[in-house]
Amino acid sequence: MLSQLDIRISLLLPLLLLALPRTVTAEEKIRFNRDVRPILSENCFACHGQDAKKRKAKLRLDKSEAAIAERDDIRAIAPGNLEKSEAWLRIISEDKDEVMPPEDSHKELSGAQKDVLRQWILQGAQYEDHWAFIAPVAKALPDAGRGIDHFIDAKLKELGLTSTAEASHNALIRRVAYAVTGLPPTPEELAQFLADQKPGAYERMVDRYLASRHYGEEMARHWLDVARYADTHGMHLDNERQMFAYRDWVVDAFNRNLPFDQFTIEQIAGDLIPDASVDQLVATGFNRCNITTGEGGTIAAEFIFRYAVERASTTAQTWLGLTAGCAVCHDHKFDPIPTKDFYSFYAFFHSNADPALDGNKLLTAPVVKVTPSDDDAKTVEFNKRAAELDVQIAGIEKRIAAAASRIKYVDPAALTPPPEPEVKEVIWFEDGFPKGTIEVTGPPLKLVTREEGPVFRGKLAIRRTAKNAIGQDVYSQGKFTVPRDGTFFAHCYLDPKDPPEAIMLQFFVGGWNHRVVWGAHEKIGWGKVNTHQRVDMGSLPEKGKWVRLEFAADKVGLKPGTTVTGYALTQFSGTMGWDHFGISSTTDPAKDPAYSWQAWKAQPEATRNQDLSPDLQKRFKGKAPDKWNTKEETELRNQWLGRVCLGARKELEPLTSEKAGIGTQRAALAQERAAYESSMHSTFIWRDLQKPRDSFVMLRGAYNKPGEKVEPDTPAVLPPLEKANPDGRATRLDLAKWMVSRENPLTARVAVNRFWQQLFGVGLVKTGHDFGTQGDLPTHPKLLDWLAVRFQDESWDMKKLMRLMLVSDAFRRTSSGSADLWQADAENRYLARGPRIRLDAEQLRDAALLAGGLLVKKMGGKGVRTYQPPNIWEPVGFRGSNTAKYKRDNGDALYRRSIYTFLKRTAPAPFMANFDAPNREASCYRRDRSNTPLQALQLLNDVQFFEAARGLATRMMVTSKDPAGRVNYAYQVVLSRAAAADELELIGDYYQKQVAKYKAAPAEAAKAITFGDSKPPDGVDAPELAAWTLVANLILNLDENIIRN
Amino acid sequence: MIHEAQFTLNRRQFFGQSGLRMGGIAMPLMLGQSLSGRASAASEVHPALPGLPHAAAKAKAVIYLHMNGGPSQLDTWDYKPGLVEHFNKDLPDEIRKGQRLSTMTSGQKKFPVAPSKFKFTQHGQCGRWVSELLPHTAKIVDDIALIKTVNTNAINHDPACTFVMTGTEIPGRPSLGSWLSYGLGAETSDLPSFVALMPRYPSGSNGQALYSRLWGPGFLPGRHSGVVLRSAGDPVLYIDNPPGVDRDDRRAMLDTLGELNKKSFAAVGDPDIQTRIAQYEMAFRMQGSVPELTDISKETKATLDLYGPEATNSGSFASSALLARRLVERGVRVVQIMHRGWDSHGNLPAELGNQCRDTDQGCAGLIQDLKQRGMLDDTLVIWGGEFGRTVYSQGALSRQKYGRDHHPRNFCMWMAGGGIKGGVVHGETDDFSYSPVENPVNVNDINATILHCLGINHERFSVRHQGLNLRLTGVEDAHPVKQILA
Repeated sequence: MLSQLDIRISLLLPLLLLALPRTVTAEEKIRFNRDVRPILSENCFACHGQDAKKRKAKLRLDKSEAAIAERDDIRAIAPGNLEKSEAWLRIISEDKDEVMPPEDSHKELSGAQKDVLRQWILQGAQYEDHWAFIAPVAKALPDAGRGIDHFIDAKLKELGLTSTAEASHNALIRRVAYAVTGLPPTPEELAQFLADQKPGAYERMVDRYLASRHYGEEMARHWLDVARYADTHGMHLDNERQMFAYRDWVVDAFNRNLPFDQFTIEQIAGDLIPDASVDQLVATGFNRCNITTGEGGTIAAEFIFRYAVERASTTAQTWLGLTAGCAVCHDHKFDPIPTKDFYSFYAFFHSNADPALDGNKLLTAPVVKVTPSDDDAKTVEFNKRAAELDVQIAGIEKRIAAAASRIKYVDPAALTPPPEPEVKEVIWFEDGFPKGTIEVTGPPLKLVTREEGPVFRGKLAIRRTAKNAIGQDVYSQGKFTVPRDGTFFAHCYLDPKDPPEAIMLQFFVGGWNHRVVWGAHEKIGWGKVNTHQRVDMGSLPEKGKWVRLEFAADKVGLKPGTTVTGYALTQFSGTMGWDHFGISSTTDPAKDPAYSWQAWKAQPEATRNQDLSPDLQKRFKGKAPDKWNTKEETELRNQWLGRVCLGARKELEPLTSEKAGIGTQRAALAQERAAYESSMHSTFIWRDLQKPRDSFVMLRGAYNKPGEKVEPDTPAVLPPLEKANPDGRATRLDLAKWMVSRENPLTARVAVNRFWQQLFGVGLVKTGHDFGTQGDLPTHPKLLDWLAVRFQDESWDMKKLMRLMLVSDAFRRTSSGSADLWQADAENRYLARGPRIRLDAEQLRDAALLAGGLLVKKMGGKGVRTYQPPNIWEPVGFRGSNTAKYKRDNGDALYRRSIYTFLKRTAPAPFMANFDAPNREASCYRRDRSNTPLQALQLLNDVQFFEAARGLATRMMVTSKDPAGRVNYAYQVVLSRAAAADELELIGDYYQKQVAKYKAAPAEAAKAITFGDSKPPDGVDAPELAAWTLVANLILNLDENIIRN
Repeated sequence: MIHEAQFTLNRRQFFGQSGLRMGGIAMPLMLGQSLSGRASAASEVHPALPGLPHAAAKAKAVIYLHMNGGPSQLDTWDYKPGLVEHFNKDLPDEIRKGQRLSTMTSGQKKFPVAPSKFKFTQHGQCGRWVSELLPHTAKIVDDIALIKTVNTNAINHDPACTFVMTGTEIPGRPSLGSWLSYGLGAETSDLPSFVALMPRYPSGSNGQALYSRLWGPGFLPGRHSGVVLRSAGDPVLYIDNPPGVDRDDRRAMLDTLGELNKKSFAAVGDPDIQTRIAQYEMAFRMQGSVPELTDISKETKATLDLYGPEATNSGSFASSALLARRLVERGVRVVQIMHRGWDSHGNLPAELGNQCRDTDQGCAGLIQDLKQRGMLDDTLVIWGGEFGRTVYSQGALSRQKYGRDHHPRNFCMWMAGGGIKGGVVHGETDDFSYSPVENPVNVNDINATILHCLGINHERFSVRHQGLNLRLTGVEDAHPVKQILA
């Protein structure tokens, strides 16, 4: 307990008292973690701690056994006995060579600190494990309903601070709306809340905002600082990279309230989840967000090492609140993370398949293509059009069936003698290509005569040489139809002195997806092996003679009726000729299911059924022809006539043509859809190398000085890792699951603390990234534990946790307070008053756009390039960089929410940087909230804010004719309250002054209302609008608007 | 060691008072006000940290002339007459000693020695050898201390620049200027304490990228960020009022805004409101002082002549050098000029000639100008890049044309002014300018020297971040270069 005197001091010297060790009285029980460890950690552990290499006199003071052990009759610490405690004698020594800490450490113990140590030794020098490494336990609360406030109020009572009253409803809704959605309430939302007089109105209001889709955007904004997400690589050229799908994943994950454990697992190891969805792969972008280089001259090993260190450190900091960074070079002096443990952790992140050099590419592998979702506008449209065409096709089929029933059909199989089979050959290449475009890989197309080289048939043949590379002739703009039972043939001549290593034929049907290849197919690569994309035909044909190659069209997946528009004759290395290439087909009407009903019927059911409409397929499943009754046979035959029978084609014209026409449209639509889907963006993901890299302790953190080999593992000071495969190597998935296991003492605390910081401005542990022994102690340790346990008990439900904090009394207090209160707790760590914090860069801009009626609420997609003063990118850009020159977007892109602003790391948008948004080069756990003149200049003069002011002025003028009404409206929009009488008067006076000036200088007024891309309303009174614009500009610059009250 | 808590206390206490002192006072416009000498301490916006400087400071301000890309030491300051004998011969193995190379030349089969084609002559009372490329700097050699053995840990631009400017290769740390602004505070309330300038560079040169982290605040509060003073567009971002809004409109509006904010303060009690009122007033004053700052019409012809014909050409290096003096004169703590184009891998003689012509007179003029005004005594000027260049040629070599790759092992920097002894040279390299043979100086030592000149003991100037006490000069031992100190 603090004495009266202490409390008085706390009012005078608040921070000294709250943040530094307290003065102690003789009776008071000293606690090691709270009182002693910070002193030892700061002053002693550097030489007498964990790091064996830096340890002096072989003494460590961080472990009880070592500290009290007797060596040569001396004990560093003798519990209960000051005179026998060598450490104490050194601390109070006046001998310059003896005193601890030594002079050259530039450290000195204060009188109060010495007192603490003295008392502690006298009381028995008891050690405690570091609080954050002991799993949180929560005791049942006596007043369970009070939750958070139980702890907050107890502490306030202890400190003798009196809390303020609940804030006004106007203040509350604005606070909640900003905290949850990053936007102020609209006047409608305000009215709804004020009108709700029933109990629970506040909770209902909170729930409305938690359900808003803007909740995900606001939550994501904070997470993306931690994840260091940006739109460029960050080093050297700082070219654009494409991974906005990760940003959108984060927004969506919050909006669908993905539980935090799953949120964790997917980001750390989504790729290792069995049957991982594209979405889960996208989530692994978390650890692809780090900065990378593409700089020429870079030594690859150095950067593979650096990336792994960065990813391991960021992961440890994000989830465990451990700053493992110093263990890169040496044993962690203060935290019990030896270097070996760091590199074991690092080993999890050392085998990503991404290269050391990013290639300055938009997409540095591994990447995944992101498929559109079902509610994607374009996809919806595709589905609609496809359904319409399907209806039309069904209609025509009905008419065809009706027409077919009137045909007098004679089965050719029934004729005697049966008709002669007919052989048809279509030539695709002979003496040259058909009309169209020819492209080549390698030297120009060469057609040789018999005098010049081997020719199989006709006058000319292709002859091509490729030198240890792919060579090919590619023909496009043709229109070949694949016949039924077609067989391709082609003739090749391989030069016996210089034979190719592989030869290939390729066909183009909306894409190059049909290939046959002879020889060493991997030399050419292309296409997935053992699919139609790459059919392996075995060894190369005989050399030194023309060989006829043959294969069924079906073998390369070319169905009858398919239109082939191009082909390619390809080889790898060597010299060869091609000639006489085409497709042949034989028709025997009596045996052909496309001419003979009997022949069709005789086919196996599975083959037959493919030709039928879905409903007939269903009805006739498992029903053999001998079970068909006459009616059924007629029905089936009519469908066969309409759908299959080539002999009936003529008689069913023009219906079949019409059907074919719609069929073509349907196919074109499918193609368009395929093209759209394949043009969808991709995103960086995590994939491990097939064979993981060996990881080593890197001596002194040097990339080229490997020491002892390590296996992936978690720090020994934390609970052991459970491996899915106990005999195998630990995986990232094991790691991710360990992070969110009940035994892990850190993850839940760190997460809860981060959300607390988001809502209250400062975390319960101020150093939210450092829960180690060097970090700050929590102001309310029991509250932190209670929240952490509850968070886990409630299945890591993030919205529930947010709600719990939002509905607490602590969050609802008015932020106004007496000067004493402000002095006593300047940072508001104890929450006697409500949080009052400056808005973040994004919130300021988004709110101004909303006030101006300009905000475009579209979500997701490529980063947009909004207004930016000239010469932000240009003076720093590298000449060859694709982000050297800024080209602003137009239209809606100017008014999107700030989370979607394109973020170039080496030259971030000034409206962001100016208000302390990080450049995302490194993970940022908490933004500074500075207060600078450059911020004032921006809010006053930046076109984004001035245009928004004009938008607001326009809305003011539309809403009310009366000046007071106009100001009141602006106050409602911006501050969620009505203006007071004295405010109206002050602003009214200013308006009068300003409108008088603009009436006298209408040209100036015209300038003031046309700043920005949006247009003022037609016929507006320019001087009036200009003056109201400045009033709006004034209101948007009020301190009250710049903060979340 | 400064605790975050102490720092916060200090800031809060300060603003609690200064806000009261400044709030609501419509400061007289700086226009027309006398600006000779440093602004008075009375208008300080943020003071030095308690206990800083640790010792009497020789220099109060810093002008850092950063030659981005890696100027060739061999063709400017590190005179190696013996190399002519080795023209086109392979660099001896006993010199190279298998040291790592950038992968731009590590694949080369030969490492042919390329002697400088430029003539060196001795200058000044100190008899310094200077290349013919620097005729103007040659005139001030008695004012500067040359260090020939600066070495860096990085071999590529991005990490090397980040190291030179932030003391570590990995992004995320505060820049030198931010450290100084944070530690020593500001001396003016009309201009930012740290300003970065990015002049044009010759069009044929190989310009590398710059990064905002080179003048960024890292983990320090954002107000210690270098403010870019731009040669095109608004000189300071958003300094110009929107079209149709003039200075009187702003004044009237700020008066009303101040009144309303004061009411807020009375009701809420948050001292940050008073700070905000003060910052809006400072913004207004900056709107007055910045145009005056960039208006050089009152500079005498004699002064302009020192900087050469480009001095009146806005955005040139010479005009930036002149602006640097004007900034320091007005109380700005740190000015960083980032001049690009020194990365000559191919046609070095032509490119380097252009680079030197672009900067030589501006550098010399700046030193002379500062000296004439008595400002050189307490202004520290630093010249240098992020690394040097190899003695062997990258690509084709002839007597007239050669290229040089990055060389981290030794390169030249010079310093002049507050705390520095003029006319000295420190460190020596081998006959191939390939390695230091005496007195190597790491980049961390350079930064320790800079801090020393400003009265700061670099070992005692640290900030707690992520569980570490971080210093500008890193964890390895670093020492001010005593031999060049006055």
